[in-house]
Amino acid sequence: MLELSNVSTSIQGTEILRDVNLKVGKGEMIGLIGRNGAGKTTLNRTIMGIQPANKGTVVIDGQDMTKAGAHERAKLKVGFMPEDRRLIPALSVEENILLPAWANDIKEAEARLAWIYELMPEVEGFAGRKALQLSGGQQKLVALARALMSGVHILLLDEPFEGVAPALSRRLLEVIKTLKDEGLSVLLSESDYTHSADLVDKVYLIERGSVRLDEAS
Amino acid sequence: MLSKNQIFVVAAAALMILAGLVMPYWFSFLVTVALAKGLVVLGLVILMRAGLVSFGQGLYYCAGAYAVGAFSDYFQTDNVLLLVLVAIVCGLVISSIVGLLLSRYRDIFFAMFSMAFSMILYGVLVKSAALGSSDGFNVTKPSLFGWAAEFNGTNLLSYWVAIILACVAGAIIWRYMRSPMGMTGEAIRENEIRVEYLGVSVQKIIYIKYIIAAVLASVGGSITAMTVGHIDPEMAYWTTSGEFVFIALMAGTGHVAAPLIGAVIFELMRTFAFQLSPYTWQMILGIALLSIIIFLPNGLWSLTDKFKKGAN
Repeated sequence: MLELSNVSTSIQGTEILRDVNLKVGKGEMIGLIGRNGAGKTTLNRTIMGIQPANKGTVVIDGQDMTKAGAHERAKLKVGFMPEDRRLIPALSVEENILLPAWANDIKEAEARLAWIYELMPEVEGFAGRKALQLSGGQQKLVALARALMSGVHILLLDEPFEGVAPALSRRLLEVIKTLKDEGLSVLLSESDYTHSADLVDKVYLIERGSVRLDEAS
Repeated sequence: MLSKNQIFVVAAAALMILAGLVMPYWFSFLVTVALAKGLVVLGLVILMRAGLVSFGQGLYYCAGAYAVGAFSDYFQTDNVLLLVLVAIVCGLVISSIVGLLLSRYRDIFFAMFSMAFSMILYGVLVKSAALGSSDGFNVTKPSLFGWAAEFNGTNLLSYWVAIILACVAGAIIWRYMRSPMGMTGEAIRENEIRVEYLGVSVQKIIYIKYIIAAVLASVGGSITAMTVGHIDPEMAYWTTSGEFVFIALMAGTGHVAAPLIGAVIFELMRTFAFQLSPYTWQMILGIALLSIIIFLPNGLWSLTDKFKKGAN
């Protein structure tokens, strides 16, 4: 589904990712564990094409997408939930969720929206509200819902539990567990194993931009 | 079934069309020119909602006017439908080429590049003797298949065409603003990276918005040419484009009606300011804009929100 080979990424001349090799198979849930500043967000951004790779290849669904822009990668049904949520404040919750469906011409958008509401009924409760009126925790849920709209094949979750109240963390965990059961390929980035220990099939450790497979996982 | 708002717009348009029969010529002329400019500003508002300010809409305003002038002169036609169509095609062709470059730029670079293209047209027209150089040339009064709509010595065709086009364009853009593509404008203004990873090609969206804005500006230019009966290179000069930005700031970007109403208010304000103080009328306009920016930073249209809140 997703394969990175010898990927290096620099930001303003500083090498952030060094020869990263990583693989997420079909229906696998992969953990990416590393401290703050280790390069998790840069890795997610490189996979999404927001931050271009200096070298190496990014293959999604068997296609070499190294040179492709973010919107082209999203069209391969890759969903991204960034750490800082990044909802569009002027749009309603439902419009935020449906935006990728329109952009990627997802035919089964309504059915998918119904599935998302079934998965997270609380989101349907505030679907008509503007994103700017939501609390931080609610925004996390909506960001996940939006990622699920386009993330039919692969889902990238960048620190989904960061800065979230314990009750909501548990709720997010439940949802992510369901996604695993649904057979979605997920790359779950976290700073420690607190939430993902029982969830993931494999763990990659990231430190100072270098990634290695945790053999113990 | 028409909604309440749609019935209101149709009724208001019908009323304005009938009012043309009794209103003084100077006022119907003023409203026609204002609506022509309002169409240009409507296009500008589409760009502004995506976070882009164009200082070069004069390019299309002028190109539309010159296309109408040159076409009617060369083919000896005054058919208003044909002339408006020529302006639309002209705006479409030029913007689909220029837009390829401009859709790559943002912020001040977009503003300056758009102005540069407008000034290139100005320079070309000033040096072009065949198109009347800096004096420009006269444009024939329009007719609809030979009918000039003369009432009490006044040609009302341009006025009626301006009202109909403003309503049609307003309705189309209103629908567009509520479509997913229209709404992405706001998202792009907020942060275009997040829009990209949702699967939207920002460059493509901006390209389309740029073309829509250009076509509206060309139509505005065509109405002005037919109404005033004279065109000159000043229509492409940067101060003309600045005037459109002035109206957009004054009116606000909150609704499609804002630029059209704002343009009429601007023309009225300018007319009366000029009559009141022929040598310092610009100062009056400047003070008005300054006051609006200070007291109504979201433009005159934001007053409607205040009234709504007050009513609740």
